[in-house]
Amino acid sequence: MAVRILLVDDHPVVLQGLRTLLDGRSQLEVVGEASDGIEAVEKVMALRPDVVVLDITMPRMNGIDACRMIQQKAPGREVLFVTQHDSPQMMREALAAGARGYVVKSNLARDLVEAVEAVSQHREFTALARNP
Amino acid sequence: MKLRILVADDHEIVRRGLCALLQKHEGWEVCGEASDGRQAIEMAKQLKPDVVILDIGMPNLNGLDTTRQLLQYDPHFKIVVLTITDADQVIREALDAGARGFVLKSDASRDLVSAVEALQSKRMFFTPRVNDLVLRGFLDKGHAVSRNEPPDLPVLTAREREVTQLLAEGKSSKEVASLLNLSTKTVETHRSNIMRKLSLHSIRDLVVYAIKNNIIQIQMPFQTSSTTESTVV
Repeated sequence: MAVRILLVDDHPVVLQGLRTLLDGRSQLEVVGEASDGIEAVEKVMALRPDVVVLDITMPRMNGIDACRMIQQKAPGREVLFVTQHDSPQMMREALAAGARGYVVKSNLARDLVEAVEAVSQHREFTALARNP
Repeated sequence: MKLRILVADDHEIVRRGLCALLQKHEGWEVCGEASDGRQAIEMAKQLKPDVVILDIGMPNLNGLDTTRQLLQYDPHFKIVVLTITDADQVIREALDAGARGFVLKSDASRDLVSAVEALQSKRMFFTPRVNDLVLRGFLDKGHAVSRNEPPDLPVLTAREREVTQLLAEGKSSKEVASLLNLSTKTVETHRSNIMRKLSLHSIRDLVVYAIKNNIIQIQMPFQTSSTTESTVV
């Protein structure tokens, strides 16, 4: 059965880019998109995805707070952060919020599919640009 | 014949999104992708695209200076700039540089196709805020765009602006020399001239100048609800 994925980013053009990386893979299915943390939590409740691909810096509710809320309201979802914050401190905070994965946007073409597959199998996947 | 478009943005995921958006349009093709301004100039000279789409906040050479250099090389280039902000000063600089399309990144999925279509038809494309600013300038009977204070930029030559950006990004004189195919001594001379012209005394002052004048862009500090610590990348 395909891994069901929710994509969350406040820039539609980034959502489009994420889709181009995931489309055409039979084992991965994008079931929805959201543009901020609040909409992400709502979509998680409605769609029950296996993996939430989550940006950090977003309007209304940021990704870290959304991750905490997703863990509370819909446990069992795996969260993979995709972010421009190439920072060990931010990565620690993201994992402490309950995420299973953390990849920086500059490496997405290389890392995204592998990271989604890893977190969908409940394995941790982290990759900062400065430590490729 | 297809409309050929060159896309320049330092984030691959954004380029992918932009390309997917543009390639849905029948009769258009993305003929090249560049990840900074310097590469965009090389590719534009080689590929001669009909339209160039440039992110403003790129490393090594930002989108505004790329626009200036491209139009100096060939004034017929049609350029759309992508920006994360439509602050007045950025709009002024983009217009002064010669961009004829101005699209907010957050609205790119809605506006970019319209912007390219406009340039294809020898028209301009601006966001509503840019249109307002241009109209205000016209009504004020001043320049095409009203100016409360002149920007600092004309003080520096194009080469000095390139050196300013690279130094402000943290590169050493030796690294700048290597990137620009200059001697380290020449870069040091540019550096001294820049500091003197702008009355700056340290690299820190230079970084502040570069940020204030949109030569480099920084990411804003990030805060979650549970921490007051911030991270600047």
